[in-house]
Amino acid sequence: MSAYLGQIYAIVWKDLLLELRTRERVVAMGAFAVLSAVLFNYSIDRTAVRPQDIGAGLIWMTIVFGGLLGVGRTFHLESEDGAFRGVLMSPVPKDAIFLGKTLSNFVLLYVVSLLIVAVFMLFFGMEIGTSPAVLGLVLALGTLGFVALGTLFAAVSSGTRMGETLLPILLFPVLLPMIVAGAGATERLLAGRPVSEVVGNIRMLAAFVLMAVAAGAVLFRFVVED
Amino acid sequence: MSGVGVARAPASESPESATAAPALEARGIVREYGPVTAVAGIDISLQRGEFLTVFGPNGAGKSTLLGLLSGALRPTRGDVFVNGTRLDFGGVDWRHDVGVLSHQGFLYAQLTVEENLRFYGRLYGLRDLDRRIPERLADVNLGDRSNSFVGQLSHGMRQRLALARALLHDPDVVLLDEPYTGLDPSAAAVLRGVLTGLKDGRRTVVMVTHNLGEGIALATQLAIQVRGHFAWKGSREDVDVADFERLYHRVVEGRA
Amino acid sequence: MTGKGIRSTGTALALLGLVGMLLVYWLSFFWVSTDRLQGVSQRIFYIHVPAAWTCFLAFGIAALTSGMYLWLRDERLDRAAVCAAEGGMVFGTIMLTTGPLWGAIAWNTYWNWEPRLILTLLLWFIFLGYFMVRGSTENPEKGKRFAAVVAIVGALDIPLIHLSVIWFPQFLHPQPVVVKPEGPTLDGDMLTVLLTSLAVFTTLFFGLFLLRYALETLRAEVRARERAATA
Repeated sequence: MSAYLGQIYAIVWKDLLLELRTRERVVAMGAFAVLSAVLFNYSIDRTAVRPQDIGAGLIWMTIVFGGLLGVGRTFHLESEDGAFRGVLMSPVPKDAIFLGKTLSNFVLLYVVSLLIVAVFMLFFGMEIGTSPAVLGLVLALGTLGFVALGTLFAAVSSGTRMGETLLPILLFPVLLPMIVAGAGATERLLAGRPVSEVVGNIRMLAAFVLMAVAAGAVLFRFVVED
Repeated sequence: MSGVGVARAPASESPESATAAPALEARGIVREYGPVTAVAGIDISLQRGEFLTVFGPNGAGKSTLLGLLSGALRPTRGDVFVNGTRLDFGGVDWRHDVGVLSHQGFLYAQLTVEENLRFYGRLYGLRDLDRRIPERLADVNLGDRSNSFVGQLSHGMRQRLALARALLHDPDVVLLDEPYTGLDPSAAAVLRGVLTGLKDGRRTVVMVTHNLGEGIALATQLAIQVRGHFAWKGSREDVDVADFERLYHRVVEGRA
Repeated sequence: MTGKGIRSTGTALALLGLVGMLLVYWLSFFWVSTDRLQGVSQRIFYIHVPAAWTCFLAFGIAALTSGMYLWLRDERLDRAAVCAAEGGMVFGTIMLTTGPLWGAIAWNTYWNWEPRLILTLLLWFIFLGYFMVRGSTENPEKGKRFAAVVAIVGALDIPLIHLSVIWFPQFLHPQPVVVKPEGPTLDGDMLTVLLTSLAVFTTLFFGLFLLRYALETLRAEVRARERAATA
């Protein structure tokens, strides 16, 4: 067990170190988030719609599209010198590779999702609500479920001729539970509603995370096999 | 339908020696990529300490063969065994016994030499990395480069580092895919030195190459692969080294 | 079953299904009584509901055989999965076109964010991904594995999608009239036509499925012979 955790740790350590060195994905996702918020501002008539009313939905759509940029590149650096083949040939169980990659993608996207929320609050004067910790939990569950399926399908799409173009086609249909529960909970929390109103959403998000992580861990080996 | 390979034996054939299992064994392995058959029925049985060099023209399926022997590729038919354990893509234990040096280095350009080895060391669950990494780097003359970024190394240095990575976990079975490609003479000399060191009686090596000179120098067994199967194979002692090039061309052109 | 047996069973079932389809049309246009509230437009229900049922059945078979394919790596399981998925796409398309046609009259709008319609739409897209993945790998064996993974994730996610969409407070879709605890509330003759139609659609699906399966088997045989000839 501790060997298994050590291997997951090695993959997370390597991924985050690479990201620290290149800053490719975090910068791309962060810039995307800020620029999206700017464009959103000019795409809605602020005299007719209050940003608070649609803010939660915009936040989650920005997370989805920004996350797509990030997870789509998961296996890009890996393939440069065939390094991922070296990882696959090492005695690391394939599910540990998946969990490591998912965890490092989660750290990146979670940081970005917090940034997205901060940007929307700053730009549109939205309130954080009364339960920022619960909002943090909702974002954590949503992004974790997203990166789990995103990592699995990024491995699929990077093995095809279509590459990253295929990723949203595979990913979006299965993301619906995350959007419904995540955006719904965010909307209520930002409006200052009591936490008891979002317990159902959190359960749905937890079920989604459980399904996504378990499916990814079991199915990943069938994707990376050659 | 396992092709018309010269070297073909039914999978049910009994093991040739009653003693220990061969260090590396392939039984009738076939690998198809859709309509293309890259490896068309190859049998290999190597005892501990043997060194097999596989020659062959481009497109003969040599890299696919090595992929199959390393468990990176799944055979369409047939099985590969390392120390008697059947390779299975999901398995992990036998992977401790196999080291692979490909023409790709499996290295991360944005990590340093030391970080690359530390990463792979952790994947292999090695505990003595602080001692082991400098040792391996000294073996390949990179002792003073441990903090250089791999992206800044020359091709020869990267290939030497890739060798250190392949041997980091001290594998019993070493698989080498065109290791001499693009190396300058001094890097080739270091590689030759390390490969010679591998002939310590404990390790089993398979190398695929089209460099006849380097290939023969270290081998105990030789094979020539043409269109997915071994069109010729023999023992190093039975071969007239001076005449091998002529033999090679005869075999490749199908006149043997 | 032999290849020939599969072909003749498939042909028989498909013919039976086609003849049965004529019967269903006749029954739903001329025989069954008109719904008191919805009028004539309700008759599309005898096509819409069985198409939806067949679509989910087909995708269920596709996901199940996909999972078994990954486990056993038997080509026949992959063939069954792709044939079932094609059937699911066809019947899903029927469901997705008849639904809005009926909605245009009953709800006065073609599109409505109705849970079961969205569920089918997403399922349809999941299997669109299934076919796109299959067709875009250099190595066909890899495409089969990728597609199987897509189908399994889709099948696991469907219950969650279902729960999510029914959360949304839009219940324009007619509530269940057949399968419910207190027994069917559909009039006797309507229930007869619906059950007939369900049987006919299911028969037709299995007939087409077996014919497609036999065709795939023949294709695989041709490929194997071509390979043998070039080797």
